[in-house]
Amino acid sequence: MALSCLTRALRSLTVSQPALLSSQVAAQCKLGAQVPTTVGQHRGFLTTAALQQNKTFWKKREKYTIKPIGMKKTGGRDHTGKIRTHGIGGGHKQRYRWIDFQRLRYEPGKEEQPFEEKVVEVRYDPCRSADIALVAGGNRKRWIIATENMHAGDIIKTSGVIGRMAVLANEGDAYALGALPVGTLVNNLEILPRRGAEYIRAAGTSGVLLRKVNGTAIVQLPSKQQVQVLDTCMVTVGRVSNVNHNKQSIGKAGRNRWFGVRPSSGLWQRKGGWAGRKIKPLPAMKSYVNLPSIAAK
Amino acid sequence: MYTHRVYYISIISIYTVSSLTYSLLYKHRSQPQWSVLTHSGPVGGGCPAHGAVSRLQARRHFGVSRCLTAKAPPARKPRERVEIPGLERITYAERMHYVPGLAKPVFPDWERDYKDPRYYWSPPVHEMPLYKEKPCYVFNQRTSVLEGVRQALWLTKTKLISGLPPHLISVAENPANQIPDQDERVQNAIKHARFWDTTEERPRKEKYSNTLLINLIHLCATLQSSHPAIGRRILAEKYSLAATWKRGEDLFQIRGQNSLLHNCMDPLPAVSGSQEVADTADHVLETFYPVSPTIDLQKVHVYKEEVNSTGFRADYPYPHAHTLYFLEGADARCKLHPEPFRANMLMFTFGNALARAHKLYGPQRVLDSPVTVQAVGTNGRIFQFLVFQLNTTDLSGDDGIKNQVWLDEDVELYDFAKVRPLIKKKQVKVPAGLAGYKPETFKKFLALYLHGAV
Repeated sequence: MALSCLTRALRSLTVSQPALLSSQVAAQCKLGAQVPTTVGQHRGFLTTAALQQNKTFWKKREKYTIKPIGMKKTGGRDHTGKIRTHGIGGGHKQRYRWIDFQRLRYEPGKEEQPFEEKVVEVRYDPCRSADIALVAGGNRKRWIIATENMHAGDIIKTSGVIGRMAVLANEGDAYALGALPVGTLVNNLEILPRRGAEYIRAAGTSGVLLRKVNGTAIVQLPSKQQVQVLDTCMVTVGRVSNVNHNKQSIGKAGRNRWFGVRPSSGLWQRKGGWAGRKIKPLPAMKSYVNLPSIAAK
Repeated sequence: MYTHRVYYISIISIYTVSSLTYSLLYKHRSQPQWSVLTHSGPVGGGCPAHGAVSRLQARRHFGVSRCLTAKAPPARKPRERVEIPGLERITYAERMHYVPGLAKPVFPDWERDYKDPRYYWSPPVHEMPLYKEKPCYVFNQRTSVLEGVRQALWLTKTKLISGLPPHLISVAENPANQIPDQDERVQNAIKHARFWDTTEERPRKEKYSNTLLINLIHLCATLQSSHPAIGRRILAEKYSLAATWKRGEDLFQIRGQNSLLHNCMDPLPAVSGSQEVADTADHVLETFYPVSPTIDLQKVHVYKEEVNSTGFRADYPYPHAHTLYFLEGADARCKLHPEPFRANMLMFTFGNALARAHKLYGPQRVLDSPVTVQAVGTNGRIFQFLVFQLNTTDLSGDDGIKNQVWLDEDVELYDFAKVRPLIKKKQVKVPAGLAGYKPETFKKFLALYLHGAV
């Protein structure tokens, strides 16, 4: 092995053009420029063993499980080993609980029917600010994001049906946006139907269903930005749990380290003009709807 | 920068000669296609494009950076293979070495013509001989059911009566049936299990719960002189149980082992009379919508149908299960909470009774003489007592005669057994040694033991 490494390295040092075999020349003429270099890319002098890379085998699972999955800490490094995000490292060991963000996931064999589930447990999750709830319905169990007043023993409903009348929704139920009355507080918003909730998942947040127009719905996000999505997008009614998350005080620098956050540099910098009061107009409404243009009609 | 240039050239060359290489890479079976393909597309590039010679120059790598050594880019998608019907790829199979531009040969997988268990690959599930379309829900000793005893009651079609049958308890109240110096000897048994059984500071839970159970059984067995029927029993460990039944449309099985089984030559007498058995037809089983009763049971498609086995041969001299003893920490891999633990006890007691009933009466629906099996579960301090009576093996419908179970849960044998005293705020809250011994609990244990022998 060492010998071959050495010969390869020495060959890479040769200045003259490597001799071509006659068969290779013939093949080269026949096949045009398809022939790659005879000298392939190879490693140079290796003085140390290759570093262990950040492999993410723990993330790659096919089948859903409610069991906590052991995570490996990245320390802010990406797959090449370079720091991608500063200030991450250490902290208490955490395990990942696989949240099913697609609330309207039918059980096999029971498609297109509204279904109910029972909350088994509401608990803390180290991987997010909100609490999570274990729900059981039919033959399966899954983790979802808990809403504000969710308790063990509650029955929550999930329905993708859009009726003529707006439904009277209880907190924790999930409906399509088109089925809900205007002004409902919502969370766990999907931006494309059946893609899984991506917006309004942090602790204590909620959006407002502002209006419903022409098969679409306009929702105000916690940042006061408005998004327009299709009204078949699923949404959970109510406010996300752990409302007092923003009022908790970390208390000391060491507690931040428990969460896996490393200290910032501590360099004092004078505040400039960016720090003053500004009044900016709200950004324009963001649309996730591909409406057909007028010209197409 | 160097690599950029190389890529650029190769892309150009692929574009220019793509049509030509296409015609070269395929053998053509039909003549008309050949002519069409050769005349289409620009002809050129017979020789390498400009710069290809310099590309052949060896590249030098003087620096070894981490980018070259350790970088593992995300795996690329494999290129899509285009299969053109009527065309066959020219591969480098016959040359027996890699030739650029020719396709990689695909050979059939080698199959060994002899049997090697080290490299055995099981066939896919649907090709196994025992594969069935209809799923079967299997309960084993590690199953932790979500709804606990309620779910077990539904699965076994059983009516729950809390507390043990009173005429059973009264047996142990009789001084003739008690052990001489009973309380003292039981306390010694507890102390042996909790304090004296180890050279370490204190025994672990798995150890002392087992020791305590064995001690208590041994203590009960000393009554053999006055009750000779006790001698017609034997203990069995690690027996395997299998029982099958249908509930509604679903098929269920109990498979597995529990810790300890007390077998007997004579069957246990029925606990309740025929009138009480007939009354159970009015009982309505509790359901737990929206949760399905089959939740947490293992769903399998490969199983044996109609398997009913008590785990013993037909000529075993002790065929009747008397009492099942369960230890909470027996399986280190699976810690059951108290509620699933009781459900586990109920299911295995039911499974023993059902397997026995199938062997005795065959497909008879309502049993003339019910099969009774008892169970005792413990974690070393808290005991669960259970008496199960199998009245019917017709479990598919929710109506009709039900089975009965008497369950006495969470009975404490003692409050504390401390090696060191519990001291809070410089006051001794709990002294060292055994504290809070409850004699009624052992009476219940003794009553179940003497059941059938008095």
